[in-house]
Amino acid sequence: MKMIKYILSAFLILGCFVTIAQTQKGSVLIKNATVLTVTNGTLENTDVLVENGIIKRIGKNLNASNIQCIDGTGKYLMPGIIDAHSHVALDAVNEATAPITSEVKMGDVVNPYDIGIYRALAGGVTISHAMHGSANAIGGQNITLKHRYGTSNPEDLHMKDAPRTIKFALGENPTRVHGRGNGIQPRTRMGVDAVIRNGFNEAIQYKKAWADYENAQKQKGAKPVPPKYDSRLATLADVLDGKIIIHCHSYRADEIYALINTCREFGIKNIVFSHVNEGFKVAPELAEYTMGASVFADWWAYKFEVYYSTAYNAAILMENGVITSINSDSGELIRHLYHEAGKAQRYGQLDDDQTLALITINPAKQLGIADKVGSIEEGKQADLVLFDGHPLSVYAIPQMTFVDGVKYFDINEDPDDMRLKVSASEALEPIFLREHEHRCMHGVDFFFTNFGRNLFNHTH
Amino acid sequence: MNIRFKPKVFSSLFYLVFCITSISFGQSDPTGERRVTGTFAITNATVTIAPGKTQQGATIIIKNGLIEAIGSNLRIPIDAQTIKGDSLFVYPGFIDGATSIGVLRPNDPERPANFDPSNPPDEFAGITPWRSVLDHYDIKNSQINDWRKVGFTVAQIVPEGGMLPGKSAIVTYGGKESNNILAKNTALAARFRSTGGGRGMYPGTQLGIMAKFRDLYKNAELSSQHMRLFASNSGLSRPEINKTLEAFFPVLDKSIPVLYEVSNDLELRRAVMLQKENGFRLVVAGITDMDFALDAIKSSNAQVLVSFRLPNDKTANSNTEGLSDEMKARTQKVKDAYIQILGEAGKLEAAGIPFGFTSLGGRSNEMYKNIRLMIANGLSENAALAALTINNANILGIQKFAGTLEKGKLANMVISTAPLFAEEAQIKYVVADGYVFEYEVNNKKSNNNGNGKAVDLSGIWDYTSDTPAGSSGGTMEIKRDGTSYKGTISYDNPSGSGKASSPMNNIILSGNNLSFTFNVSAGGMSLEVSVSGEITDGDFSGSMSLSEFGSFPFNAVKKPNHLNQ
Repeated sequence: MKMIKYILSAFLILGCFVTIAQTQKGSVLIKNATVLTVTNGTLENTDVLVENGIIKRIGKNLNASNIQCIDGTGKYLMPGIIDAHSHVALDAVNEATAPITSEVKMGDVVNPYDIGIYRALAGGVTISHAMHGSANAIGGQNITLKHRYGTSNPEDLHMKDAPRTIKFALGENPTRVHGRGNGIQPRTRMGVDAVIRNGFNEAIQYKKAWADYENAQKQKGAKPVPPKYDSRLATLADVLDGKIIIHCHSYRADEIYALINTCREFGIKNIVFSHVNEGFKVAPELAEYTMGASVFADWWAYKFEVYYSTAYNAAILMENGVITSINSDSGELIRHLYHEAGKAQRYGQLDDDQTLALITINPAKQLGIADKVGSIEEGKQADLVLFDGHPLSVYAIPQMTFVDGVKYFDINEDPDDMRLKVSASEALEPIFLREHEHRCMHGVDFFFTNFGRNLFNHTH
Repeated sequence: MNIRFKPKVFSSLFYLVFCITSISFGQSDPTGERRVTGTFAITNATVTIAPGKTQQGATIIIKNGLIEAIGSNLRIPIDAQTIKGDSLFVYPGFIDGATSIGVLRPNDPERPANFDPSNPPDEFAGITPWRSVLDHYDIKNSQINDWRKVGFTVAQIVPEGGMLPGKSAIVTYGGKESNNILAKNTALAARFRSTGGGRGMYPGTQLGIMAKFRDLYKNAELSSQHMRLFASNSGLSRPEINKTLEAFFPVLDKSIPVLYEVSNDLELRRAVMLQKENGFRLVVAGITDMDFALDAIKSSNAQVLVSFRLPNDKTANSNTEGLSDEMKARTQKVKDAYIQILGEAGKLEAAGIPFGFTSLGGRSNEMYKNIRLMIANGLSENAALAALTINNANILGIQKFAGTLEKGKLANMVISTAPLFAEEAQIKYVVADGYVFEYEVNNKKSNNNGNGKAVDLSGIWDYTSDTPAGSSGGTMEIKRDGTSYKGTISYDNPSGSGKASSPMNNIILSGNNLSFTFNVSAGGMSLEVSVSGEITDGDFSGSMSLSEFGSFPFNAVKKPNHLNQ
């Protein structure tokens, strides 16, 4: 019996390796750099040895044969930057047609040709959390991407060992799209809460219906009739079971606190709040009941609910014990998240490790991948960035970016045109003026035509 | 009499006609339309029975719509009409793997006042898998003639509509006495486009479409399970009859495939993802960029229908002299992308994937030109012919009676004046379902104007076109632009009186053949008109095609040059 178990588990492990081993893994030795581990302080003149995509050793005078060696003298090595809120590399962002669309999966619409991935790599970002937009109270399931640029298979970008996450959204966006746009619930913040509650309650009933059916099947001679399948409710049932981490678009303290209470009522602990401009008002609650807050450094006032904001937000949250990260929500900001983190330090006097944690280990915690990435530690996946100066200096420029030990960006081997797929029918591809903007409301411009927006208004 | 396709009406009508014909055989035919004989003999031709198998000096006997015999020294039946095949080349009739020619888009139902776009009824959301394309097929559509003229004799017609528009069918392009239906409900059509331009209702994007497809598929399985249980047990709650889910049943038991229309490699991968999750038979149609997805095609065992549409060579006339290095490099990339696309069919062949061609997205007048380009870039002539014939017969499951020239198969063939893919080849006859269609062949050499001079387009042309709405016309002003041409065309203003004009796009002159397109905006939408034809001594004779409305004669005369100055 034991033997069979061993054989079975061996097969399972083998199976995992087969599926994961499809993406490229690299080996490299970076010598004599200043290593910013984030979780274990700064190590001067230190070598980092990467074998087969994993950080094998950190120390002095390391040697390895048949492995490419990079001289890091005078340079700074930090963990790959992680963006907990992005819409890069997606063919569609919003299935804005229903207040709950938990059944849709961003993993279905990943576009590996998006040049935004390469630009993010050039900014040292190795992982982005490709999210559904904020048009719905409960949006779609997000996908955590590793920036393995160069493939035409979208699945090669999926970080397959990352847990599932889902988008929620509060406040003006869902009420505007559904309430004012289509005349259905939710029209107010109360409505948003009701939509979420109803969703959870229906999911409880749905789960029970299937459990009853499966129990009935176990009875001898029973012929139970299967319930209807509903991936929308099945997904919400997984949220209730803690299998999916909620990432919730939010701004105001009242709605944040209200959703914290709703989650407590339903026993949900896996929730991260995104944007959270008024998070500083509910910092202790965020610290106690959530997986943290992912904020902007100093971006606000692009609509009514985002006026009450401060550049001290990240620092206040962090000092109150909230797991805090800084995200981009933008194909432009993603290129210099280290500057954005630097702003939080400039205002809030966070120390270097705290500041770097905002864009490395903390977003990793919020995505449930902190045991694999987010810091330079032996045994972790080798997602690394080499800077020519300290990354919190405004003069620092990323030199090389590695994902799984494979170098995907090198400033010295950086051709003008890095597109993977070129249109044969456009002599010059069009340039979109709005591409640099926040993309949370991508695809739902339609609903905003009467609200005085113009070309350069933010839409997240 | 104009009979719409109601199968019941048609079958009784068919029966009626058949009886009358048999009773009145030998009596006079006042209309004069009935053909004298259905028996034909094509003698002494070069016959390609199947790709790579050619027989010289062979005779083909056609009787009752079937190939009765192929060989040499055959006795020619006394009632046969003989077609002298000396110097002609006979090929199996082409099969169009998927087409929307002649297919009408059903009207969207009108939204009620209390319409909830977040949860629309299936029919509103483009989910109509119970529809049969035959109920929306116009057998008289003039474009069918265009496609038969280039060699098509059988086609799988695909319904128009939303994400699950309905079931496809297989028709022949034969005589008008028959309804020409070979098979119905041959595949469940699917696509990644939703109705109403997307965002108006659920599912509005590919995100929602993928999720909705999964839910429908899973519920179809559960529904079929419930029905089986209910049929063999008592005391169970009754199943809810749902025509959307029932339409999936033949897909669940793999008796028909899902025909997924895809527009690029990423959509192809999405279709393959759904197939791998659910296990249905998959045919992907209209794929481009397959070079980026060969691995997915191979691993999925999906059957592949390739569009023979090719992009225009945007860099053919571009002059990179004096451009910055960056622009030169960009231009080169566009050129490389173009060359890569030309080579894709050849790469599919090299990868051992037996693909067929589909006319989806393509134009009949570009087919040979494009296939020749694919052949010049690595596709073998045999594979090209197979993609038009036997491969599609296999994909459609009609290889028993179509796809090759063999005794007992349907009398479908293409007869050309030269080997099929040669530049000078012209189609002289097409035999479809035993009906012979003859086409005019002209003996001009290419690249001259009959008098040895290269064609010069520049000047002012007067044209006329005949549409069911009447005859109209205007002028084309064409000027040289480096090695290419540019021009404008005037026409009766569709939204008012007087003339409107548009720039002429994609002007391509190849030998005597001229083609171009222009856009007309009418009623808030832009309609692309494509014109093609041949120039003889300053006369242009061709046809103009208005997307789904059909194609119509288009003739033009160039004004003498002294008037052009």
